[in-house]
Amino acid sequence: MNGVMLALDPVSYQLPEAMATSAGPIDWLFGVIFWISAAFFVGIVGAMVFFAWKYRKRPGHKSEPTEHYPILELGWTIAPIPILVLLFHWGFQGYIDLSIPPADAIEIRVKGFQWGWDFEYPNGESDNVLHVPKDRNVKLVMSSTDVLHAFYVPGFRTKRDLVPSMYTSVWFRPTKTGETDLMCAEYCGGRSKDANGDELQPSQFKGHWSMWAKVVVNTPEDFEKYMDGLAPDLKGDPAKLAERGKTIWTKKQCAGCHTIDGSKGSAPTWKGLFGKSHKMADGTDVVADENYVRESILTPNAKIVAGYPSPSLMPSFQGTVKDKDIDAIIAFMKSIKD
Amino acid sequence: MSAVDVPVTGHANDHGDPHVNYLKAKSGIGSWLYTLDHKRIGILYLAMVSLAFLAGGIFALLLRFELFTRGKTIVDAETYNRFFTLHGAIMVFLFIIPSVPAALGNFCLPIMLGAKDVAFPRLNMWSFYIYLIGAGISLYSIINGAVDTGWTFYTPYSASPTKNYVWAMTFGVFVLGFSSILTGLNFLVTTHTMRAPGVTWRRLPLFVWGMYATAIIQVLATPVLAITVLLLGMERVFGLGVFDPRLGGDPVLFQHFFWFYSHPAVYIMIVPGMAIVSEIIATFTRRAIVGYFAIAMSSLSLALLGFLVWGHHMFTAGMSEFSTMLFSALTFLVAIPSGVKVFNWTTTLYKGDVWLTTPMLYALSFIFLFSIGGLTGLFLGSLSVDIHLHDTYYVVAHFHYVMMGGTVMGFIGGLFYWWPKITGKLYNESIAKVGWFLVFVGFNVTFISQFIMGSRGMPRRYYDYLPQFEPFHKASTIGSWILGLGMLIEAYALLSAVFSGKKSPPNPWGSAGYEWNTATPPVLANFVETPVITRGPYDYHLATPEELFDGFPEDAPKK
Ligand code: HEC
Ligand SMILES: [Cu+2]
Repeated sequence: MNGVMLALDPVSYQLPEAMATSAGPIDWLFGVIFWISAAFFVGIVGAMVFFAWKYRKRPGHKSEPTEHYPILELGWTIAPIPILVLLFHWGFQGYIDLSIPPADAIEIRVKGFQWGWDFEYPNGESDNVLHVPKDRNVKLVMSSTDVLHAFYVPGFRTKRDLVPSMYTSVWFRPTKTGETDLMCAEYCGGRSKDANGDELQPSQFKGHWSMWAKVVVNTPEDFEKYMDGLAPDLKGDPAKLAERGKTIWTKKQCAGCHTIDGSKGSAPTWKGLFGKSHKMADGTDVVADENYVRESILTPNAKIVAGYPSPSLMPSFQGTVKDKDIDAIIAFMKSIKD
Repeated sequence: MSAVDVPVTGHANDHGDPHVNYLKAKSGIGSWLYTLDHKRIGILYLAMVSLAFLAGGIFALLLRFELFTRGKTIVDAETYNRFFTLHGAIMVFLFIIPSVPAALGNFCLPIMLGAKDVAFPRLNMWSFYIYLIGAGISLYSIINGAVDTGWTFYTPYSASPTKNYVWAMTFGVFVLGFSSILTGLNFLVTTHTMRAPGVTWRRLPLFVWGMYATAIIQVLATPVLAITVLLLGMERVFGLGVFDPRLGGDPVLFQHFFWFYSHPAVYIMIVPGMAIVSEIIATFTRRAIVGYFAIAMSSLSLALLGFLVWGHHMFTAGMSEFSTMLFSALTFLVAIPSGVKVFNWTTTLYKGDVWLTTPMLYALSFIFLFSIGGLTGLFLGSLSVDIHLHDTYYVVAHFHYVMMGGTVMGFIGGLFYWWPKITGKLYNESIAKVGWFLVFVGFNVTFISQFIMGSRGMPRRYYDYLPQFEPFHKASTIGSWILGLGMLIEAYALLSAVFSGKKSPPNPWGSAGYEWNTATPPVLANFVETPVITRGPYDYHLATPEELFDGFPEDAPKK
């Protein structure tokens, strides 16, 4: 019996597992519209099939002249109106609830870029995984550094475009601990060739579809622990600092272009880079010291390495890579000097 | 038809004997390339839109094949992105928009009015050549410029410095739009001024009403494209900040402009499909359509509402709450005229004499599929639910049910219905029905899986996907193969009729429609004498079943 009910419940197989309060009203309305539509569909198609069979062409059978059915005509013009008004009303109400974040919400900053995400937590630390606390209101303040993207977590039923030069926001209240998916829902391009126009390995293709990120719903305690873990005290321990630099290399997408094993990617490898003197596109020789690395990260176009296209393929990380991240990157580069 | 001795004059005379089968009246390549005959222009259009449909269909099959497995299946990511751009742009701008009006409309509308041709035959020919030029410009810029923006060309992605061709592409679309303005204008004037004596507005065939409503949209909506092209151009050339945030423009503004044209365009696509279905259902139930007036008016109100709902494509884009509310409310209104049509068609079957020919099967499929397309629109019109469904495969499935399940089914049904009229030959019913069955099944397999994966959270325009979506993608791809096979069979059924089909009698369906009341295929001047109409196009009660095939007593020359 329970199994039958489950199979009959459209929400159970047409929508993903609900992980936030926002899903409740949406799933309910989805179910309501499903059954209204199903009733209309069965009515229309049922009548169509029945009439087509009952009044099928056969010897001796004749059509009857069409009459006027003013009541019927008026009826089916007017009858749907109350249903439509109700659907509109429920949909709009749900929408308004989704757009007004409660005052006590925790604020997380979201940056979308081609092709990844950066989440900055209230303590100023950031990550490429979105952790959120269960049973707390969370508000995301979002913007894009390049083209349109959209923040979409099916489990939360939330979606909102990220627009360059504009802030948009969403809020939600997770109801279940666990992991779910975050995807980009506004087309933002893709790349499968390197700077020289050579085809990359399929595993290196990047684009709209690869803007996937893990969303982790923690208990509030675990969430605090997670945030603290993002800001370890690393002063005076170059090995740990380098370790952190390596994490940043993957988390901030540097790894998408720069290798650390000396192999050639779409950008210069970091192996053996630090302290080396090398040629720029304008012919000058520059030593890769702390200042140069910093400048390369914040204003990639200031100096372009010889042999790479101008303007640089590398986006500026101004604002997303913090000073202490740069320190860690430098420590990491030093650790792979040779 | 009572014979009134009006000598046939006009341009038709300059190009051959007006009383000879239009296909035989003149021969040679030039007789096609410079033709002013609306029937031949319709066929030229038909050839081009069929090619476009074939190309768009091949891209669709390639896309589906790429998605058959996770990761790379046949092409790399950049190629995939170009393919779906080409698929969308070709299907929308080169195929669906011109399909019914320019091909079947051109052929049938003047005959249904009892006219010799459209009002401006020369303009009609130009509209075809402008279509070719526009198609050339757009295809050249998409292919040469490796445009990978999707058919919606959203800024700022489409404004990136490396994407120089988007402006050219939009210009191409504008040229195409210009060609549909000319067709629209021609239909409006023809309908107003060239109706034969007795063809009153209340006796206008529903197909003509549909073409008329479409023509209004074509003439009014397309100029917006011109403004968009102009603004994009000014931004490119003078650095004026309109859409590009790097220049201080507003990227969302582009979406307003784009949909202000493209949403009415959706009705340019669907209203003609509905118009064909009305004709087919009347013929094969032997009954006047229930609610003739309501159907005619619902076409006009769809045309009007089409202008007011463009914002429903942008519910997640950051419009004000007030505009969002307004657009949602207006969107729900569209359900009323759409519902009216479906209810009227269904009730027409009641007490009819239902003859399940291939065109009728397509018309009934239209009702089935369009109902699904329309009802799933209720989910998308409800704001909160749309937040979840927007830009997922749910939307993809929804508009394929409307555009392909609706317009394309109507178009193919119309082709089979008017094929004897156009070619003078009968197609093979059994082959055509097998094709129909595969098309219908394949279509549903392809797109029902897309509904489910979409509502489960699969975003559209993805080269690769998460493991949980794999079974749905597999099913959808297999469906696309069935659908493709069905389409091939239908193409074979139509083409083989041309070469080896049996000769068609003048009125193979026993239809009361005016277009069947002249020779099949029509003579160059459509009618030997200007017809005088004394009955409606659906007055089946005025004839016995036999007389339907042999000629209405009403129409017999009165001595
Ligand atoms: C989209 C690809 C891409 C990404 C992502 C990227 N870079 Fe780069 N990077 C390049 C390219 C290409 C160059 C060489 C051209 C130039 O000098 O700007 C470069 C140059 C550099 C240089 C100078 C290298 C040299 O040989 O002098 C440094 C340092 C650097 N990047 C650091 C980073 C860091 C740190 C990150 C991550 C936070 C990063 N890059 C992310 C493409 C990228
Ligand atoms: Cu994106």
